[in-house]
Amino acid sequence: MDEKELKNIANLAKLNIEEAEVSSMLSDFSRIVQYVDEIKNLDTSSVGDDEIYEQIFYELRKDLAENGLKRDDLAKIAPLYENGYVVVPKVIET
Amino acid sequence: MKDLIFLTYSEIKTKLNDGSLKSKDLVSAYIKRIETVDSKVKAFLEINKDHILKQAEESDTRRKSGKLLSEFDGIPIGIKDNICITGEITSCSSKILENFRSPYDASVIQKLKDKGFVLFPRLNMDEFAMGSSTENSAFQTTRNPFDTNRIPGGSSGGSAAVVAGSMLPISLGSDTGGSIRQPAALCGIWGLKPTYGRISRYGLIAYASSLDQIGPFSNDLQGISDLLEIISGLDHKDQTTAKVNPFEANSVSSVEWKGKKIGIMKAEEFNFSTDVNKRYTDILKELESKGAILVPLDFSLLKYAIPVYYLIATAECSSNLSRFDGIRYGLRKEGSGKLDDLYSESRTQGFGPEVKRRILLGTFSLSSGYYDAYYGKAQKARVLIRKQYAEFFKSVDIIFQPTSPTTAFKVGEKTKDPIQMYQADILTTSVNLAGVPAISCPAGVDSTGLPIGLQITSSHFDETKLLSFAKSVSELDICKITLPNEIT
Repeated sequence: MDEKELKNIANLAKLNIEEAEVSSMLSDFSRIVQYVDEIKNLDTSSVGDDEIYEQIFYELRKDLAENGLKRDDLAKIAPLYENGYVVVPKVIET
Repeated sequence: MKDLIFLTYSEIKTKLNDGSLKSKDLVSAYIKRIETVDSKVKAFLEINKDHILKQAEESDTRRKSGKLLSEFDGIPIGIKDNICITGEITSCSSKILENFRSPYDASVIQKLKDKGFVLFPRLNMDEFAMGSSTENSAFQTTRNPFDTNRIPGGSSGGSAAVVAGSMLPISLGSDTGGSIRQPAALCGIWGLKPTYGRISRYGLIAYASSLDQIGPFSNDLQGISDLLEIISGLDHKDQTTAKVNPFEANSVSSVEWKGKKIGIMKAEEFNFSTDVNKRYTDILKELESKGAILVPLDFSLLKYAIPVYYLIATAECSSNLSRFDGIRYGLRKEGSGKLDDLYSESRTQGFGPEVKRRILLGTFSLSSGYYDAYYGKAQKARVLIRKQYAEFFKSVDIIFQPTSPTTAFKVGEKTKDPIQMYQADILTTSVNLAGVPAISCPAGVDSTGLPIGLQITSSHFDETKLLSFAKSVSELDICKITLPNEIT
């Protein structure tokens, strides 16, 4: 893990890393990656891909319309709300 | 009469139902206790006294008019700040949700309201349930009522501390890698992580969806059993809830130790503190003297549990927390006016350091080139851990381990070393990976008076057996703990 790679991951995660933080974050992150690298020593060849996705219990919902939350209730928690719409900041990018 | 705040959950239930105690008197006593000691413990992010007292008064009115909602009507309960309650702020102890008021009730909250419980919301926690000490809250560090220089455990530290500090008899928390059992152990109370799928997660703000489970804390075991019966069950709003026979609190009864096969681990492999090791050994000796058969188990996979846990949990958190983008609710920082800036400024300023660290690790393990080596490998390792537990339960009735390798550490002692902090969960994370249920039982105190916890684990959906063994543990003198009267 180097600085360029860390910044790329941060960009994918939509997080900014200040220049002053890079060194300590890189150090922590490298140690954590080194720590989780331990699993590479575990033989998992006996586990098939199908087994990973096995779920024991499922109660799948029927695809039926139900009463959801009321628009007025949701409006109360929206940052900006006008005339029945949630207002988001204007973004025009070319 | 015993001071109201020092009553056990069972005593409270009995007194409310025989008419010798009013909910308002009880709730007033707790509020007074909170006002006296919570400036030291810092378990609550907020107390809405008027609203809480109104709930208690309404319960007393129902009782007077013979229209009780249940035998639990009027019992107070604390709620972790990641479980949604209509109209209340649910911040996950994060700046990004600092002003978010939930427009709906979590399924567990609806069930508690239907029974007439008096809800005390907003118990402090590690931000988005990420931590083992409640030092990661964006707002305050909760302290251990046994020694306020020490942490209460995490992430449900507030939920554990209110019970240990006699500010409430019961509370709800959530457990992703040990976040109920570890704080229960460090605070000397009962804490249950039920089988994955036993309790609906609808309305629990997600950290790692395949691991998270809501569960109860209590100052006695009956509180754990009652709450499990009340809040569990199939929920069409959460497709991971299970179609199984419901748990019934009255199915729990003490077990006869003679002939029971108890799975144990070799303590020296996991760096238990001297006091924890001695207490674990002493308990096992006592059980052996009562006729239990101790069966050493090979926990060799346990050393992989924390790496596997962190890879899976962080991958899920990087996905779950992507919804906090500054657009729909919560903190918004507009930056330069570009969309990417709005996202990244809001998230950078809204999330704390541990949350960012875990999002980064999760994004890394899911990213192209690393997926197979990390996330894919961790998923396969998880299958092996699940299979290992299934093998264990072919040869033993139950598994006994310490809950935490040490007693409560000092505030600030591990904050600079994330690896050391993660290792506080070494004995609990494998249980979440396997999806089995486990409870932390009080197990006496160390040489300095700090609580020790005993973790009991059973097979999937066998909470009746789990709590029956726990009931027998509660009857052992060696495990008794007295909660502190004075908080200093």
